[in-house]
Amino acid sequence: MTSEVVIQAHGLTKHFGGLEAVAGIDFEVERGTCVGLLGPNGAGKTTTMRMIMGLTRPSAGTLTVFGHPSSALGKAERARIGLVPQEDTLDPDITVAQNLHVYGRYFGVARAALDERVPQLLAFMHLEEKANAQVMQLSGGMKRRLIVARALIGNPDLVILDEPTTGLDPQARMMIWKRLLALRGERKTLLLTTHYMDEAERLCDRIVIIDGGRVLENGSPRALIRKHVSGHVFELPKPVPEGLDGDGLDVEDIGDAVLVYVDTPEALMHRLGGEAAFHHRPAGLEDVFLRLTGRQLRDS
Amino acid sequence: MIKLGDVRARLPARLCQPPDVLRGAGAVWRRHLIVWRTMLWASLTSNVFEPLLFLFAFGYGLGAIVGELGGLPYLVFILPGMMAYTAMFAASFEATIGAYARFRLQKTWDAMLATPLSLTEILLGELLWCATKATVAATCVFIVGAAFGGVPSIGGGLLGLLMLVLAALCFGACGHAFLAYAKGWDFFSYVFTFWVTPMFIFSGVFFEVTRFPDPIQLLAWVLPMTHVIAVLRPLTTGQELGWIAILNVLYVAGLAVVAFLVARRRIGQRMFD
Repeated sequence: MTSEVVIQAHGLTKHFGGLEAVAGIDFEVERGTCVGLLGPNGAGKTTTMRMIMGLTRPSAGTLTVFGHPSSALGKAERARIGLVPQEDTLDPDITVAQNLHVYGRYFGVARAALDERVPQLLAFMHLEEKANAQVMQLSGGMKRRLIVARALIGNPDLVILDEPTTGLDPQARMMIWKRLLALRGERKTLLLTTHYMDEAERLCDRIVIIDGGRVLENGSPRALIRKHVSGHVFELPKPVPEGLDGDGLDVEDIGDAVLVYVDTPEALMHRLGGEAAFHHRPAGLEDVFLRLTGRQLRDS
Repeated sequence: MIKLGDVRARLPARLCQPPDVLRGAGAVWRRHLIVWRTMLWASLTSNVFEPLLFLFAFGYGLGAIVGELGGLPYLVFILPGMMAYTAMFAASFEATIGAYARFRLQKTWDAMLATPLSLTEILLGELLWCATKATVAATCVFIVGAAFGGVPSIGGGLLGLLMLVLAALCFGACGHAFLAYAKGWDFFSYVFTFWVTPMFIFSGVFFEVTRFPDPIQLLAWVLPMTHVIAVLRPLTTGQELGWIAILNVLYVAGLAVVAFLVARRRIGQRMFD
Protein backbone atom coordinates (compact mmCIF):
# COMPACT_ATOMS: atom_id res chain seq x y z
CA MET A 1 0.00 0.00 0.00
CA THR A 2 1.40 3.38 -0.95
CA SER A 3 1.33 5.92 1.84
CA GLU A 4 -0.05 9.37 1.19
CA VAL A 5 1.67 12.29 2.84
CA VAL A 6 -0.89 14.66 4.37
CA ILE A 7 1.49 17.21 5.87
CA GLN A 8 5.03 17.81 4.67
CA ALA A 9 7.33 20.40 6.21
CA HIS A 10 10.76 21.10 4.79
CA GLY A 11 13.09 23.68 6.30
CA LEU A 12 10.01 25.29 7.81
CA THR A 13 10.88 28.58 9.51
CA LYS A 14 8.91 31.33 11.24
CA HIS A 15 10.32 34.58 12.60
CA PHE A 16 8.39 37.05 14.71
CA GLY A 17 10.48 40.18 14.43
CA GLY A 18 13.89 39.08 15.71
CA LEU A 19 12.56 35.94 17.40
CA GLU A 20 12.91 32.67 15.55
CA ALA A 21 9.95 30.63 16.80
CA VAL A 22 10.46 27.81 14.29
CA ALA A 23 14.02 27.44 13.02
CA GLY A 24 13.93 25.13 10.01
CA ILE A 25 12.06 21.94 10.83
CA ASP A 26 11.42 18.89 8.65
CA PHE A 27 8.71 16.35 9.27
CA GLU A 28 6.00 14.40 7.51
CA VAL A 29 2.60 13.17 8.58
CA GLU A 30 1.26 10.20 6.64
CA ARG A 31 -2.39 9.51 6.12
CA GLY A 32 -4.07 7.39 8.79
CA THR A 33 -1.34 7.92 11.38
CA CYS A 34 -1.22 9.84 14.62
CA VAL A 35 1.84 12.03 14.99
CA GLY A 36 2.71 13.73 18.27
CA LEU A 37 4.46 17.07 18.28
CA LEU A 38 6.16 17.28 21.67
CA GLY A 39 8.22 20.04 23.17
CA PRO A 40 8.44 22.29 26.21
CA ASN A 41 6.42 25.52 26.29
CA GLY A 42 7.76 27.94 23.71
CA ALA A 43 9.31 25.17 21.60
CA GLY A 44 7.36 26.23 18.50
CA LYS A 45 4.49 23.71 18.55
CA THR A 46 1.59 26.11 18.42
CA THR A 47 3.28 28.25 15.75
CA THR A 48 3.80 25.13 13.65
CA MET A 49 0.13 24.21 14.02
CA ARG A 50 -0.97 27.72 13.11
CA MET A 51 1.14 27.51 9.96
CA ILE A 52 -0.48 24.19 9.06
CA MET A 53 -3.93 25.75 9.53
CA GLY A 54 -2.91 28.60 7.23
CA LEU A 55 -3.34 31.10 10.08
CA THR A 56 0.20 32.41 9.83
CA ARG A 57 2.61 32.39 6.89
CA PRO A 58 5.92 30.55 7.02
CA SER A 59 8.91 32.92 6.83
CA ALA A 60 10.95 30.35 4.90
CA GLY A 61 10.90 26.73 3.84
CA THR A 62 7.97 24.79 2.46
CA LEU A 63 4.87 23.43 4.12
CA THR A 64 2.27 21.51 2.18
CA VAL A 65 -1.07 20.21 3.44
CA PHE A 66 -2.94 17.77 1.17
CA GLY A 67 -0.32 18.62 -1.44
CA HIS A 68 -1.07 22.38 -1.43
CA PRO A 69 1.06 25.15 0.11
CA SER A 70 -0.44 25.83 3.55
CA SER A 71 -0.72 29.57 3.02
CA ALA A 72 -2.78 29.06 -0.14
CA LEU A 73 -5.26 26.43 0.99
CA GLY A 74 -8.61 26.71 -0.74
CA LYS A 75 -11.98 26.36 0.97
CA ALA A 76 -12.21 22.72 -0.11
CA GLU A 77 -8.91 21.83 1.58
CA ARG A 78 -9.63 23.85 4.70
CA ALA A 79 -12.94 22.03 5.03
CA ARG A 80 -10.97 18.77 5.37
CA ILE A 81 -9.21 19.97 8.54
CA GLY A 82 -10.71 19.96 12.04
CA LEU A 83 -8.99 21.85 14.86
CA VAL A 84 -9.24 21.20 18.59
CA PRO A 85 -7.69 24.40 19.95
CA GLN A 86 -5.96 24.67 23.29
CA GLU A 87 -8.34 27.38 24.46
CA ASP A 88 -12.07 27.16 24.99
CA THR A 89 -13.54 28.90 21.94
CA LEU A 90 -17.09 27.57 22.35
CA ASP A 91 -20.09 29.88 22.20
CA PRO A 92 -21.09 30.17 25.87
CA ASP A 93 -24.56 31.67 25.39
CA ILE A 94 -26.11 28.93 23.26
CA THR A 95 -26.74 25.22 23.72
CA VAL A 96 -24.44 22.30 23.04
CA ALA A 97 -26.38 21.24 19.94
CA GLN A 98 -26.57 24.83 18.66
CA ASN A 99 -22.79 25.12 18.94
CA LEU A 100 -22.43 22.18 16.58
CA HIS A 101 -25.11 23.45 14.18
CA VAL A 102 -23.57 26.92 13.99
CA TYR A 103 -20.10 25.49 13.44
CA GLY A 104 -21.35 23.10 10.79
CA ARG A 105 -22.70 26.05 8.81
CA TYR A 106 -19.22 27.59 8.78
CA PHE A 107 -18.13 24.44 6.97
CA GLY A 108 -21.00 24.84 4.53
CA VAL A 109 -22.70 21.64 5.74
CA ALA A 110 -26.37 21.69 4.74
CA ARG A 111 -29.00 21.91 7.46
CA ALA A 112 -30.49 18.50 6.68
CA ALA A 113 -27.07 16.86 6.94
CA LEU A 114 -26.48 18.62 10.26
CA ASP A 115 -29.78 17.37 11.68
CA GLU A 116 -28.40 13.89 11.14
CA ARG A 117 -24.78 14.53 12.06
CA VAL A 118 -25.15 16.52 15.27
CA PRO A 119 -26.89 13.73 17.27
CA GLN A 120 -24.33 11.23 15.96
CA LEU A 121 -21.43 13.35 17.15
CA LEU A 122 -23.06 14.03 20.51
CA ALA A 123 -23.46 10.27 20.96
CA PHE A 124 -19.87 9.67 19.83
CA MET A 125 -18.57 12.02 22.54
CA HIS A 126 -21.16 10.88 25.15
CA LEU A 127 -22.89 14.23 25.26
CA GLU A 128 -26.35 13.23 24.01
CA GLU A 129 -28.00 14.05 27.34
CA LYS A 130 -26.48 17.51 27.28
CA ALA A 131 -27.73 18.43 23.80
CA ASN A 132 -29.97 21.21 25.12
CA ALA A 133 -27.77 22.37 27.99
CA GLN A 134 -26.14 25.80 27.85
CA VAL A 135 -22.40 25.55 27.28
CA MET A 136 -21.86 27.72 30.37
CA GLN A 137 -23.26 24.91 32.54
CA LEU A 138 -20.85 22.23 31.28
CA SER A 139 -17.93 20.89 33.28
CA GLY A 140 -14.40 21.30 31.91
CA GLY A 141 -14.34 17.70 30.67
CA MET A 142 -17.67 18.07 28.85
CA LYS A 143 -16.47 21.28 27.20
CA ARG A 144 -13.36 19.51 25.90
CA ARG A 145 -15.51 16.68 24.55
CA LEU A 146 -17.75 19.21 22.84
CA ILE A 147 -14.71 20.93 21.30
CA VAL A 148 -13.58 17.56 19.92
CA ALA A 149 -17.10 16.88 18.58
CA ARG A 150 -17.14 20.34 17.00
CA ALA A 151 -13.83 19.70 15.22
CA LEU A 152 -15.42 16.63 13.61
CA ILE A 153 -18.55 18.37 12.30
CA GLY A 154 -17.17 18.73 8.77
CA ASN A 155 -16.09 15.07 8.72
CA PRO A 156 -12.42 16.08 8.39
CA ASP A 157 -9.60 13.89 7.04
CA LEU A 158 -7.04 15.65 9.22
CA VAL A 159 -7.68 16.47 12.89
CA ILE A 160 -5.24 18.77 14.67
CA LEU A 161 -5.38 18.62 18.46
CA ASP A 162 -3.59 21.19 20.61
CA GLU A 163 -3.33 19.71 24.13
CA PRO A 164 -6.73 18.01 23.96
CA THR A 165 -6.79 16.64 27.52
CA THR A 166 -5.00 19.30 29.57
CA GLY A 167 -6.70 19.75 32.94
CA LEU A 168 -9.05 16.77 32.64
CA ASP A 169 -9.64 13.98 35.16
CA PRO A 170 -8.36 10.48 34.28
CA GLN A 171 -11.83 9.24 33.26
CA ALA A 172 -12.36 12.07 30.79
CA ARG A 173 -8.83 11.67 29.38
CA MET A 174 -9.36 7.94 28.89
CA MET A 175 -12.64 8.59 27.11
CA ILE A 176 -11.08 11.12 24.74
CA TRP A 177 -8.17 8.73 24.06
CA LYS A 178 -10.60 5.99 23.07
CA ARG A 179 -12.34 8.33 20.67
CA LEU A 180 -9.08 9.47 19.11
CA LEU A 181 -8.01 5.85 18.63
CA ALA A 182 -11.38 5.18 16.99
CA LEU A 183 -10.76 8.08 14.60
CA ARG A 184 -7.34 6.70 13.73
CA GLY A 185 -9.06 3.39 13.08
CA GLU A 186 -11.17 5.20 10.45
CA ARG A 187 -7.93 6.16 8.66
CA LYS A 188 -8.16 9.76 9.77
CA THR A 189 -4.88 11.57 10.22
CA LEU A 190 -4.18 13.05 13.64
CA LEU A 191 -1.59 15.62 14.65
CA LEU A 192 -1.39 16.08 18.39
CA THR A 193 0.49 18.18 20.89
CA THR A 194 0.51 17.25 24.54
CA HIS A 195 2.55 17.58 27.69
CA TYR A 196 1.43 14.14 28.88
CA MET A 197 3.98 11.56 27.82
CA ASP A 198 1.65 8.66 28.62
CA GLU A 199 -0.85 10.21 26.23
CA ALA A 200 1.72 10.52 23.46
CA GLU A 201 2.99 6.98 24.06
CA ARG A 202 -0.52 5.61 23.98
CA LEU A 203 -1.87 7.44 20.93
CA CYS A 204 1.01 8.27 18.62
CA ASP A 205 2.54 6.13 15.90
CA ARG A 206 5.33 8.62 15.64
CA ILE A 207 6.69 11.40 17.77
CA VAL A 208 8.53 14.54 16.76
CA ILE A 209 10.32 16.21 19.67
CA ILE A 210 11.06 19.87 19.07
CA ASP A 211 12.76 22.50 21.18
CA GLY A 212 14.00 25.98 20.41
CA GLY A 213 12.27 25.73 17.05
CA ARG A 214 14.31 22.69 15.95
CA VAL A 215 13.54 18.99 15.63
CA LEU A 216 15.56 17.06 18.21
CA GLU A 217 14.27 13.59 17.49
CA ASN A 218 11.70 11.84 15.34
CA GLY A 219 10.53 8.22 15.57
CA SER A 220 8.08 5.78 17.12
CA PRO A 221 7.72 6.02 20.91
CA ARG A 222 9.26 2.57 21.32
CA ALA A 223 12.22 3.31 19.07
CA LEU A 224 12.93 6.57 20.90
CA ILE A 225 12.85 4.87 24.28
CA ARG A 226 15.16 2.12 23.01
CA LYS A 227 17.55 4.62 21.53
CA HIS A 228 17.87 7.06 24.42
CA VAL A 229 17.22 5.23 27.66
CA SER A 230 17.73 1.71 28.92
CA GLY A 231 14.82 -0.34 30.19
CA HIS A 232 14.90 0.72 33.84
CA VAL A 233 15.63 3.85 35.76
CA PHE A 234 16.71 4.24 39.38
CA GLU A 235 16.46 7.60 41.08
CA LEU A 236 18.99 7.84 43.94
CA PRO A 237 19.01 10.82 46.30
CA LYS A 238 22.43 12.37 46.96
CA PRO A 239 24.88 11.52 48.44
CA VAL A 240 25.15 8.68 45.98
CA PRO A 241 26.69 5.37 47.18
CA GLU A 242 30.35 5.28 46.17
CA GLY A 243 31.61 3.56 43.06
CA LEU A 244 28.53 4.09 40.93
CA ASP A 245 30.09 6.55 38.42
CA GLY A 246 32.80 5.56 36.02
CA ASP A 247 31.57 2.04 36.06
CA GLY A 248 30.16 2.01 32.54
CA LEU A 249 26.78 2.94 34.01
CA ASP A 250 24.50 5.47 32.30
CA VAL A 251 24.22 8.09 35.06
CA GLU A 252 22.54 11.49 34.85
CA ASP A 253 22.90 14.19 37.50
CA ILE A 254 19.58 16.00 38.12
CA GLY A 255 20.62 18.25 41.01
CA ASP A 256 19.61 16.76 44.32
CA ALA A 257 19.57 13.22 42.94
CA VAL A 258 21.01 11.11 40.12
CA LEU A 259 19.27 8.89 37.62
CA VAL A 260 20.84 5.56 36.69
CA TYR A 261 19.60 3.84 33.54
CA VAL A 262 20.13 0.08 33.29
CA ASP A 263 18.88 -2.69 31.01
CA THR A 264 18.05 -5.08 33.80
CA PRO A 265 17.36 -4.01 37.37
CA GLU A 266 18.67 -7.03 39.34
CA ALA A 267 22.44 -6.29 39.29
CA LEU A 268 22.05 -2.68 40.44
CA MET A 269 19.51 -3.59 43.08
CA HIS A 270 21.96 -6.12 44.44
CA ARG A 271 24.74 -3.53 44.53
CA LEU A 272 22.58 -0.94 46.28
CA GLY A 273 21.62 -3.48 48.91
CA GLY A 274 18.62 -3.35 51.18
CA GLU A 275 19.59 -0.16 53.05
CA ALA A 276 19.71 2.42 50.23
CA ALA A 277 16.72 4.69 49.51
CA PHE A 278 15.86 4.71 45.82
CA HIS A 279 12.96 4.91 43.44
CA HIS A 280 12.81 2.34 40.68
CA ARG A 281 10.53 2.35 37.60
CA PRO A 282 10.59 1.28 33.96
CA ALA A 283 12.08 3.99 31.73
CA GLY A 284 9.58 5.75 29.47
CA LEU A 285 9.04 8.54 27.02
CA GLU A 286 9.19 11.12 29.79
CA ASP A 287 12.83 10.18 30.42
CA VAL A 288 13.59 10.53 26.72
CA PHE A 289 11.86 13.90 26.62
CA LEU A 290 13.68 15.27 29.66
CA ARG A 291 17.05 13.99 28.49
CA LEU A 292 16.63 15.64 25.10
CA THR A 293 15.08 18.94 26.14
CA GLY A 294 16.85 19.40 29.47
CA ARG A 295 15.44 19.81 32.92
CA GLN A 296 15.43 23.54 33.47
CA LEU A 297 12.06 25.27 33.76
CA ARG A 298 10.70 27.21 30.79
CA ASP A 299 9.30 30.64 31.37
CA SER A 300 6.78 30.86 28.59
CA MET B 1 -46.22 32.76 -18.10
CA ILE B 2 -42.56 32.66 -17.31
CA LYS B 3 -41.80 30.67 -14.22
CA LEU B 4 -38.93 31.68 -12.03
CA GLY B 5 -37.77 28.06 -11.93
CA ASP B 6 -37.42 27.97 -15.73
CA VAL B 7 -35.39 31.14 -15.78
CA ARG B 8 -33.13 29.82 -13.08
CA ALA B 9 -32.64 26.53 -14.92
CA ARG B 10 -31.34 28.38 -17.98
CA LEU B 11 -28.90 30.54 -16.10
CA PRO B 12 -25.44 29.24 -15.29
CA ALA B 13 -25.55 27.50 -11.91
CA ARG B 14 -23.14 29.91 -10.28
CA LEU B 15 -25.49 32.85 -10.87
CA CYS B 16 -28.24 31.16 -8.83
CA GLN B 17 -25.97 30.45 -5.89
CA PRO B 18 -24.86 33.35 -3.73
CA PRO B 19 -21.11 33.86 -4.07
CA ASP B 20 -19.01 32.01 -1.50
CA VAL B 21 -18.12 35.18 0.35
CA LEU B 22 -21.79 35.98 1.01
CA ARG B 23 -22.58 32.42 2.03
CA GLY B 24 -19.74 32.54 4.56
CA ALA B 25 -20.84 35.96 5.82
CA GLY B 26 -24.38 34.59 6.05
CA ALA B 27 -23.21 31.76 8.32
CA VAL B 28 -21.53 34.31 10.60
CA TRP B 29 -24.65 36.52 10.57
CA ARG B 30 -26.79 33.50 11.42
CA ARG B 31 -24.60 32.69 14.43
CA HIS B 32 -25.10 36.20 15.79
CA LEU B 33 -28.85 35.91 15.24
CA ILE B 34 -29.01 32.62 17.18
CA VAL B 35 -27.03 34.08 20.08
CA TRP B 36 -29.11 37.27 20.02
CA ARG B 37 -32.37 35.29 20.16
CA THR B 38 -31.39 34.07 23.63
CA MET B 39 -31.55 37.69 24.83
CA LEU B 40 -34.24 38.86 22.46
CA TRP B 41 -36.63 40.38 24.99
CA ALA B 42 -34.04 42.31 26.93
CA SER B 43 -32.73 43.69 23.67
CA LEU B 44 -36.11 44.63 22.18
CA THR B 45 -37.38 46.13 25.41
CA SER B 46 -34.44 48.51 25.58
CA ASN B 47 -34.84 49.27 21.87
CA VAL B 48 -38.43 50.40 22.46
CA PHE B 49 -38.19 51.83 25.95
CA GLU B 50 -35.14 54.02 25.43
CA PRO B 51 -36.54 55.99 22.50
CA LEU B 52 -39.77 56.39 24.49
CA LEU B 53 -37.77 58.01 27.29
CA PHE B 54 -35.94 60.29 24.86
CA LEU B 55 -39.08 61.25 22.98
CA PHE B 56 -40.87 61.99 26.22
CA ALA B 57 -38.03 64.14 27.53
CA PHE B 58 -37.23 65.99 24.31
CA GLY B 59 -40.51 65.91 22.44
CA TYR B 60 -42.67 67.00 25.35
CA GLY B 61 -40.26 68.58 27.81
CA LEU B 62 -37.91 70.45 25.50
CA GLY B 63 -40.49 70.63 22.73
CA ALA B 64 -42.80 72.67 24.96
CA ILE B 65 -40.07 75.29 25.31
CA VAL B 66 -38.74 75.15 21.75
CA GLY B 67 -42.11 74.93 20.07
CA GLU B 68 -41.14 74.77 16.41
CA LEU B 69 -37.82 74.34 14.69
CA GLY B 70 -37.25 74.83 10.97
CA GLY B 71 -40.99 75.23 10.56
CA LEU B 72 -41.66 71.82 12.12
CA PRO B 73 -43.13 70.76 15.47
CA TYR B 74 -40.12 69.85 17.63
CA LEU B 75 -41.15 66.18 17.92
CA VAL B 76 -41.25 65.93 14.12
CA PHE B 77 -37.89 67.69 13.86
CA ILE B 78 -36.13 65.54 16.42
CA LEU B 79 -37.52 62.14 15.42
CA PRO B 80 -35.24 61.51 12.40
CA GLY B 81 -32.33 62.63 14.59
CA MET B 82 -33.30 60.07 17.21
CA MET B 83 -33.66 57.35 14.56
CA ALA B 84 -30.20 58.11 13.19
CA TYR B 85 -28.69 58.35 16.65
CA THR B 86 -30.21 55.02 17.68
CA ALA B 87 -28.83 53.31 14.56
CA MET B 88 -25.43 54.97 14.98
CA PHE B 89 -25.15 54.00 18.62
CA ALA B 90 -26.31 50.40 18.06
CA ALA B 91 -23.92 49.86 15.14
CA SER B 92 -20.98 51.54 16.86
CA PHE B 93 -21.50 49.56 20.06
CA GLU B 94 -21.84 46.23 18.25
CA ALA B 95 -18.80 46.88 16.05
CA THR B 96 -16.53 47.93 18.91
CA ILE B 97 -17.39 46.49 22.33
CA GLY B 98 -19.57 43.66 20.98
CA ALA B 99 -17.10 42.56 18.32
CA TYR B 100 -14.09 42.99 20.62
CA ALA B 101 -15.64 40.53 23.06
CA ARG B 102 -15.90 37.99 20.24
CA PHE B 103 -12.42 38.80 18.94
CA ARG B 104 -10.49 38.77 22.23
CA LEU B 105 -12.62 37.47 25.10
CA GLN B 106 -14.67 34.62 23.66
CA LYS B 107 -12.22 33.90 20.82
CA THR B 108 -15.18 33.48 18.49
CA TRP B 109 -13.16 34.74 15.53
CA ASP B 110 -10.37 32.26 16.27
CA ALA B 111 -12.92 29.46 16.26
CA MET B 112 -14.30 30.72 12.94
CA LEU B 113 -10.87 30.99 11.34
CA ALA B 114 -10.25 27.31 12.11
CA THR B 115 -13.02 26.55 9.58
CA PRO B 116 -13.15 27.33 5.84
CA LEU B 117 -14.32 30.88 6.68
CA SER B 118 -11.98 33.71 5.70
CA LEU B 119 -11.41 36.88 7.69
CA THR B 120 -13.20 38.88 4.99
CA GLU B 121 -16.28 36.70 5.40
CA ILE B 122 -16.14 37.03 9.18
CA LEU B 123 -15.91 40.84 9.03
CA LEU B 124 -18.62 41.04 6.41
CA GLY B 125 -20.88 38.86 8.56
CA GLU B 126 -20.15 41.08 11.56
CA LEU B 127 -20.96 44.15 9.50
CA LEU B 128 -24.26 42.73 8.23
CA TRP B 129 -25.13 41.93 11.82
CA CYS B 130 -24.37 45.52 12.91
CA ALA B 131 -26.66 46.74 10.17
CA THR B 132 -29.39 44.31 11.24
CA LYS B 133 -29.33 45.30 14.90
CA ALA B 134 -29.11 49.00 14.11
CA THR B 135 -32.00 48.82 11.65
CA VAL B 136 -34.19 46.88 14.11
CA ALA B 137 -33.47 49.49 16.78
CA ALA B 138 -34.14 52.43 14.45
CA THR B 139 -37.35 50.78 13.26
CA CYS B 140 -38.54 50.62 16.87
CA VAL B 141 -37.94 54.38 17.21
CA PHE B 142 -39.73 54.90 13.91
CA ILE B 143 -42.80 52.93 15.05
CA VAL B 144 -42.94 54.57 18.47
CA GLY B 145 -42.41 58.03 16.91
CA ALA B 146 -45.02 57.45 14.23
CA ALA B 147 -47.51 56.36 16.92
CA PHE B 148 -47.06 59.76 18.57
CA GLY B 149 -47.49 61.62 15.31
CA GLY B 150 -43.81 62.33 14.78
CA VAL B 151 -43.64 61.08 11.16
CA PRO B 152 -45.66 63.15 8.67
CA SER B 153 -44.43 61.04 5.74
CA ILE B 154 -44.61 57.32 6.52
CA GLY B 155 -43.46 56.41 2.98
CA GLY B 156 -40.51 58.76 3.32
CA GLY B 157 -39.76 57.23 6.71
CA LEU B 158 -39.64 53.75 5.22
CA LEU B 159 -37.22 55.01 2.58
CA GLY B 160 -35.29 56.62 5.42
CA LEU B 161 -34.91 53.21 7.07
CA LEU B 162 -33.16 52.06 3.90
CA MET B 163 -30.79 55.00 4.26
CA LEU B 164 -30.19 53.87 7.84
CA VAL B 165 -29.16 50.39 6.62
CA LEU B 166 -26.39 52.07 4.62
CA ALA B 167 -25.61 54.36 7.56
CA ALA B 168 -25.33 51.35 9.91
CA LEU B 169 -22.94 49.63 7.49
CA CYS B 170 -20.81 52.79 7.58
CA PHE B 171 -20.88 53.17 11.40
CA GLY B 172 -20.21 49.45 11.76
CA ALA B 173 -17.23 49.56 9.41
CA CYS B 174 -15.85 52.64 11.20
CA GLY B 175 -16.27 50.80 14.52
CA HIS B 176 -14.35 47.83 13.11
CA ALA B 177 -11.58 50.17 11.94
CA PHE B 178 -11.29 51.53 15.51
CA LEU B 179 -11.41 48.00 16.93
CA ALA B 180 -8.57 47.03 14.61
CA TYR B 181 -6.31 49.39 16.56
CA ALA B 182 -7.74 48.70 20.04
CA LYS B 183 -5.23 47.32 22.53
CA GLY B 184 -7.76 46.91 25.33
CA TRP B 185 -11.23 47.86 26.55
CA ASP B 186 -10.08 51.34 27.65
CA PHE B 187 -9.52 52.26 24.02
CA PHE B 188 -13.26 52.32 23.41
CA SER B 189 -13.81 55.20 25.82
CA TYR B 190 -11.90 57.32 23.26
CA VAL B 191 -14.18 56.05 20.52
CA PHE B 192 -17.25 57.07 22.46
CA THR B 193 -15.82 60.42 23.61
CA PHE B 194 -14.32 61.52 20.29
CA TRP B 195 -16.60 59.80 17.79
CA VAL B 196 -20.03 58.74 19.08
CA THR B 197 -20.75 61.69 21.38
CA PRO B 198 -19.63 64.39 18.89
CA MET B 199 -22.00 62.86 16.34
CA PHE B 200 -24.76 63.05 18.95
CA ILE B 201 -24.04 66.74 19.51
CA PHE B 202 -22.75 68.22 16.25
CA SER B 203 -24.60 66.34 13.52
CA GLY B 204 -28.01 67.94 13.78
CA VAL B 205 -29.89 65.57 16.06
CA PHE B 206 -31.35 68.36 18.21
CA PHE B 207 -31.00 71.46 16.01
CA GLU B 208 -29.75 72.43 12.60
CA VAL B 209 -26.02 72.29 11.92
CA THR B 210 -26.22 75.81 10.44
CA ARG B 211 -26.51 77.25 13.95
CA PHE B 212 -22.85 76.50 14.58
CA PRO B 213 -20.03 78.89 13.59
CA ASP B 214 -18.39 78.00 10.26
CA PRO B 215 -15.34 76.05 11.52
CA ILE B 216 -17.59 73.84 13.65
CA GLN B 217 -19.91 73.34 10.68
CA LEU B 218 -16.95 72.17 8.64
CA LEU B 219 -16.11 69.67 11.35
CA ALA B 220 -19.73 68.54 11.49
CA TRP B 221 -19.73 67.71 7.78
CA VAL B 222 -16.71 65.45 8.25
CA LEU B 223 -18.84 63.28 10.53
CA PRO B 224 -20.94 60.77 8.54
CA MET B 225 -23.88 61.25 10.90
CA THR B 226 -24.44 64.80 9.60
CA HIS B 227 -24.86 63.42 6.08
CA VAL B 228 -27.22 60.70 7.30
CA ILE B 229 -29.49 63.18 9.06
CA ALA B 230 -29.34 65.56 6.09
CA VAL B 231 -30.96 62.81 4.01
CA LEU B 232 -33.22 61.33 6.68
CA ARG B 233 -34.90 64.50 7.95
CA PRO B 234 -36.44 65.59 4.62
CA LEU B 235 -37.64 62.01 4.12
CA THR B 236 -39.53 61.55 7.40
CA THR B 237 -40.85 65.11 7.48
CA GLY B 238 -42.00 65.01 3.87
CA GLN B 239 -39.82 67.93 2.79
CA GLU B 240 -38.16 68.11 -0.59
CA LEU B 241 -34.93 66.20 -0.96
CA GLY B 242 -32.36 68.11 -3.01
CA TRP B 243 -29.96 66.59 -5.55
CA ILE B 244 -27.17 67.15 -3.05
CA ALA B 245 -28.54 64.12 -1.17
CA ILE B 246 -26.68 62.00 -3.73
CA LEU B 247 -23.41 63.43 -2.44
CA ASN B 248 -24.48 62.73 1.15
CA VAL B 249 -25.21 59.10 0.25
CA LEU B 250 -21.93 58.76 -1.66
CA TYR B 251 -19.97 60.19 1.26
CA VAL B 252 -21.49 57.67 3.67
CA ALA B 253 -21.02 54.76 1.23
CA GLY B 254 -17.45 55.77 0.41
CA LEU B 255 -16.49 56.04 4.06
CA ALA B 256 -18.03 52.59 4.66
CA VAL B 257 -15.84 51.05 1.96
CA VAL B 258 -12.65 52.79 3.11
CA ALA B 259 -13.26 51.88 6.76
CA PHE B 260 -13.96 48.26 5.84
CA LEU B 261 -10.71 47.98 3.89
CA VAL B 262 -8.71 49.58 6.72
CA ALA B 263 -10.30 47.23 9.27
CA ARG B 264 -9.75 44.15 7.10
CA ARG B 265 -6.10 45.00 6.52
CA ARG B 266 -5.19 45.89 10.10
CA ILE B 267 -7.09 43.02 11.75
CA GLY B 268 -5.50 40.65 9.24
CA GLN B 269 -2.06 41.88 10.28
CA ARG B 270 -2.95 41.45 13.93
CA MET B 271 -4.29 37.93 13.54
CA PHE B 272 -1.97 36.39 10.95
CA ASP B 273 1.49 37.92 11.38
